[in-house]
Amino acid sequence: MEIKPFTGQPISVLAYDGSPVTNLDSLGISKDEYLSIYRWLVLARAVDDRGYILVRQGRAGFYAQIAGQEASQIGSALPLTKDDWLYGDHRSQGSMLVKGLRAAEWFAHVLGRSLDPSQGRLMPHGPGRNDLHIVPPSSTVGNQITEAVGTAMAQRIKKRKEITIVYFGDGATSEGDFHVGMNFAAVYGSPCIFFCQNNQYAISVRLQEQTHTKTIAEKAKAYGMDGFLVDGNDVLAVYAVSKHCADKARSGNGPSLIEAYTYRYGPHSSADDDTRYRPKGELEMWRNERDPVVRFRRFLEKQKLWNDDKEQKLLAEVKAELAVALEEAEKSPVPEPMTVLDHTYEKLTPHLEWERKELAAELGV
Amino acid sequence: MAVKTVLESVRDALHSEMERDPSVFLMGEDIGPRGNVFRITAGFLDEFGRDRVVDTPLAEASIVGIAVGAAMAGMRPVAEIQFADFIYPAYNQIVGEAAKIRYRSAGGNSCPLVVRTPYGGGVRGALSHSVSVEALFYHVPGLKVCAPSTPADTQGLLTSAIRDDDPVLFLEHKRTYRLIKGEVPAGDYTVPIGKADVARTGKDVSVITYGLMRHFAMEAAEQLAGQGIETEVIDLRSIRPMDRETILNSIGKTRKALIVHEDQKFGGIGAEVSAIIAEEALFELDAPVKRLCGPDVPAMGYAKEYEEAFMPSPARIADAIKALADF
Repeated sequence: MEIKPFTGQPISVLAYDGSPVTNLDSLGISKDEYLSIYRWLVLARAVDDRGYILVRQGRAGFYAQIAGQEASQIGSALPLTKDDWLYGDHRSQGSMLVKGLRAAEWFAHVLGRSLDPSQGRLMPHGPGRNDLHIVPPSSTVGNQITEAVGTAMAQRIKKRKEITIVYFGDGATSEGDFHVGMNFAAVYGSPCIFFCQNNQYAISVRLQEQTHTKTIAEKAKAYGMDGFLVDGNDVLAVYAVSKHCADKARSGNGPSLIEAYTYRYGPHSSADDDTRYRPKGELEMWRNERDPVVRFRRFLEKQKLWNDDKEQKLLAEVKAELAVALEEAEKSPVPEPMTVLDHTYEKLTPHLEWERKELAAELGV
Repeated sequence: MAVKTVLESVRDALHSEMERDPSVFLMGEDIGPRGNVFRITAGFLDEFGRDRVVDTPLAEASIVGIAVGAAMAGMRPVAEIQFADFIYPAYNQIVGEAAKIRYRSAGGNSCPLVVRTPYGGGVRGALSHSVSVEALFYHVPGLKVCAPSTPADTQGLLTSAIRDDDPVLFLEHKRTYRLIKGEVPAGDYTVPIGKADVARTGKDVSVITYGLMRHFAMEAAEQLAGQGIETEVIDLRSIRPMDRETILNSIGKTRKALIVHEDQKFGGIGAEVSAIIAEEALFELDAPVKRLCGPDVPAMGYAKEYEEAFMPSPARIADAIKALADF
């Protein structure tokens, strides 16, 4: 499979009905790996379904679903090694799970418990884990893009084989950090993948109000970088393009921009009402005709690798696994109020020492 | 001990830290072949190479954003903003990212970053080459802010800042670069962040200040010594964390406080110093706290008359000390 930048149509491997449109052998993916990819897709969706219920039950304060974007996230995270760095964005929990974040930690993050690696400090966009090189995202759109370029620059200076991937949405491509980050990375040949999940909405603002270019991928041209437009609901295509860009960065051939053309099913977050801005029928079309999980299942069925029995067994297995994970998260203690002062600096400053005394007196602890 | 300028002390701190620790590197505009607009990094590119002396594209947001990402990945970047007046595009990265990453990762990530920048007036720099930015940053938890005034403190604090595991905004008063000379101890010299310097002891009035104003305050204090007024001069050196103890000890002794800074009075550093004194030492005071600061206008004008009207001078500081001593 030849992977070319700046194609007019998104690069795809599978048609919507799951039939391959390209030679599969060139992907170099084994049968077991196909099954593993499917398990990730199913797991990511199930984690999200379970997480969203926590908000509806009033047990969590916030949730941003990835539903519809699973193939973009799983496909782009699978080529990463343990030492590669991952910068997430508003919704990248699927990628974080592949990178090694545990489902129990994710649920603890949603619930704001101590098991959460950010220990209840962040809105649940992803908690990060430094040992896995997952950086916790901030909600300020685009900030992570320049930071990822800095991490990639450090990797290049240290002559490491690691690379950095940074996730962002279509809206972030209007931010200054996107442009200055892309520019710097190209000038200095930083081993970085700029991965844009173009789900076509920045909260409610549609792509045509965001940019006048036809695609996001073509913006890479201005920086002397390759830009790839890929079908973001085709996990094999996303994997192939991401692997291509990862290999390229790893071998010292610089950064790439990937635009994964996809669609989110849920609102921007649990605080949004998406019925106010979506045209009638659009969501249904994507869900019924282009769903990334169903599409890959159809592929497996056509390859005689999957059937209803296996599907039921997998769903039951994932459900049980997540029940255990949620239980572990719920058993994890809530943060101690006095730890609100921790981790501002490496050591408490004299000022924070005074505030510790004052707060302890005020809280009666 | 060697006598050197503030500018040379910045250069020497950068140079020795780069020699000592391969993870220290510099990034900024015109720091390569140009050797920085003040020639601080002259010769560095040849000595340390392009990977460690990174001439950046002209985008302040990316200079700091990239430095933050490199710092998280184990480097110790020293990012330069050419003039403090240009730091605003990087405010988002300094305040929103560098200062918060340790907290938001519950200690998982750290950001050992130094952002150094020349600030302050008295060089005919007008509205875009004279500003003082410290008040915009000293409100920010997670960040440390240094504003030394002497060559020894500059070299010692910059060395400490580079070795610090938290992000440090390092403010260098550009008027002091070549104006102020002083002795700097030889060898591995550090000054702890968060400790003020008692630049001069006295029993009548405490002047609490930093930056160029330390030197003006010292000049005023020397003049008044001839008239029998003994002024204590406290140079904060670090604005965040602030050395409350040294301030309060001095007030306990003199019972009179004059706060002097070039930056505007309203919401400036003096507001916090005044509040500390009011909260902790109100009944020790023999006179109301006095602040002598820049006026509440957007910035210093270009005309010499505007500069002089804006900046506290040794004569104006002396008048304020005298008024307090007579109170």
